[in-house]
Amino acid sequence: MNKSSVSPRVVPIEAAELKAEEHESYLNLVWRKFRKSRIAIFGGLIVVALAVLAICSDFFSPYDPVKLNMRYGYIPPHRVHFVDAEGKFHFRPFVYNWVQVLDENMFAHWVEDTNQKYEIQFFVQNWQYKFLGLFPGRLHLYGAADGGLIYLLGTDKFGRDIFGRCARAGRISLSMSLFGTFISVAVGSVLGVVSGYYGGRFDNLMQRFVEFVQSFPQLPLWMALAAVIPPTWDQMTVFIAMSVIFALLSWTLLAREVRGKVLALRETDFVLAAREMGASDARIIFYHLYPNTLSHTIVVLTLTIPSIILAESFLSFLGIGIQEPLVSWGVMMREAQTIQTLGFNLWIIAPVFFIFLAVLGFNFLGDGLRDAADPYTIV
Amino acid sequence: MDTDQNIILEVKNLKQYFPIYKALLQQLVGHIKAVDGVSFFVRENEVLGLVGESGCGKTTVGRSILRLYDPTDGEVWYRNRAGERINITRLSQKAMKPLRREMRMIFQDPFSSLNPRRTVKEIIGEPLIIHQVARGKAMEERVAELMTAVGLDPNYMERYPHEFSGGQRQRIGIARTLSLSPRLIIADEPVSALDVSVQAQVLNLLQQLKDDLGLSLIFIAHDVSVVEHVSDRIAVMYVGKIVELARTEELLWHPLHPYTEALVSAIPPADPDIHLERVTLGGEVPSPANPPSGCIFHPRCRFVRYLCSREEPVLREIKPGHFVSCHFATELALRGIGGTA
Repeated sequence: MNKSSVSPRVVPIEAAELKAEEHESYLNLVWRKFRKSRIAIFGGLIVVALAVLAICSDFFSPYDPVKLNMRYGYIPPHRVHFVDAEGKFHFRPFVYNWVQVLDENMFAHWVEDTNQKYEIQFFVQNWQYKFLGLFPGRLHLYGAADGGLIYLLGTDKFGRDIFGRCARAGRISLSMSLFGTFISVAVGSVLGVVSGYYGGRFDNLMQRFVEFVQSFPQLPLWMALAAVIPPTWDQMTVFIAMSVIFALLSWTLLAREVRGKVLALRETDFVLAAREMGASDARIIFYHLYPNTLSHTIVVLTLTIPSIILAESFLSFLGIGIQEPLVSWGVMMREAQTIQTLGFNLWIIAPVFFIFLAVLGFNFLGDGLRDAADPYTIV
Repeated sequence: MDTDQNIILEVKNLKQYFPIYKALLQQLVGHIKAVDGVSFFVRENEVLGLVGESGCGKTTVGRSILRLYDPTDGEVWYRNRAGERINITRLSQKAMKPLRREMRMIFQDPFSSLNPRRTVKEIIGEPLIIHQVARGKAMEERVAELMTAVGLDPNYMERYPHEFSGGQRQRIGIARTLSLSPRLIIADEPVSALDVSVQAQVLNLLQQLKDDLGLSLIFIAHDVSVVEHVSDRIAVMYVGKIVELARTEELLWHPLHPYTEALVSAIPPADPDIHLERVTLGGEVPSPANPPSGCIFHPRCRFVRYLCSREEPVLREIKPGHFVSCHFATELALRGIGGTA
């Protein structure tokens, strides 16, 4: 058709109707649907809060979370007071000094010394750190005045601030689960789409392989794989190796889901239309099919993250995988292994609370995204 | 058949069988003969209607011609822009690609034939990108031009298909089909998913585009009343075979096959006071996996005779340009559109 022959004399009969409604972009549609779900917003906030806490962990921890301080082992969480021992109200919150005393059985206990109080100050200058590993900083969210100590979640055996360590541990726990999930999603979705699209013998082979992988008992295999990581490897390599191990066993769920979706989609007319106009297989797979499985991918993604967080914690708890001085929530839990330590110092299981929050947050978020990610109806 | 230079597409004895496998052992137990020896031709700037009930293989004919399926047997001769006649049944998909610019398809379902994740601009412009005709600004201009041509406002090219009505979506589909300036379009029931008022608009649009752009069209439909307005000639299909092929008026007024007679009598007359006795067919459409012996139509034919179940009739030219596959085509007195013979 040459330009002159395209005739504009067809009246755009229905076009006028469209003017009334506003055009919305994809993200707008997703967001509008997402924010209707209160629980999803809640989950999203938890996830964002944990991420901020992890990224800015130095800012949130008043003391260097890896520095040993043997004199202050197992201090219970400091209580934040507004009312002092004489019943006087203070506008500024404060903590009391904690001192070690011996009880009649000659056990050492930490108790509050109400004679000495330290006001809590905000945005204080303290130990030096590098924000994002780049910018040196001394600013911290809070600290005790006049050289006093403040341990909001208590200290561990080596006198390190548990709150600060929990924040720092979030870096490894969250980034490893994100990285592992990324690999898992990349592998799972590509294999799933290809398997569903080509079908036939390749699909058959692929699905039997998926079943093979799925039939492995996950935990023992994870443990075995994690155990063969040579201890001589540096931290970064171990981190990557662990992520890959988690990813290797978790991609199967997504591969199955995506394959099912693609099986349904490849018979639709728009795929036929693409073939009719001469599109290559790669184009059909990645331009037409893959974007339509995205909603599934996002949901599986938000469900894979917590499962990797849990797996990582479990392995680290058993002492395989991440090793000190790297710190993850699981590594922190390792201290709580003996019932005796736990019985006397209950606060050292605080990381469980963070794991719990993270898993819950991602699950809520995934729930909301499931409904929101696909604002258009297909098939 | 015809050998004149005007023929853009000639289909000879096209067969498309689909294998049936028994579940467990993947044993081949038979074939569905979706298209079983179909022959016809299309002239340039002509509309050939292809009519038949659901499952008779008309969609398969369209898809086999465009090599969306690999035909089992037969030849499809296409005369390309340069004037060469090419048999496309055995071409590789790679060799087929340049021809896909000239032969395009309009799909039946305006909802599932547009990718819900792509904007109208991406959908209409996709053939341009695939065939490296235009991209970026040039593509946008072409898309705007096409949208205007099919009666859509180009301002809406950034929108997604779900924001459009059925009729508008079908216009998007038509614009996509036109984007590479094709010479032959196979319209696979382009209006059957639309409601009647919109059907008329889309039919008029197709008719007008055909006149303006000099297109050849194969118009597939299950409803004779839809095809009769746009078609120059009509081919009637029944269980994988063409049973009658003639000029539109000839076929409607003087059908020579009992099946055509039944189809034609289903067209409601424009005058509500006219009550015609309708020819209704008894029985069921036979399965293309297991077609009846002899004439495929004989179990439902009201004129059936002994010969019909024994011998398969061939498509023969009874009058000039009027092909019928019936042993007794010349003997039967069949009623046409006005109830006349």
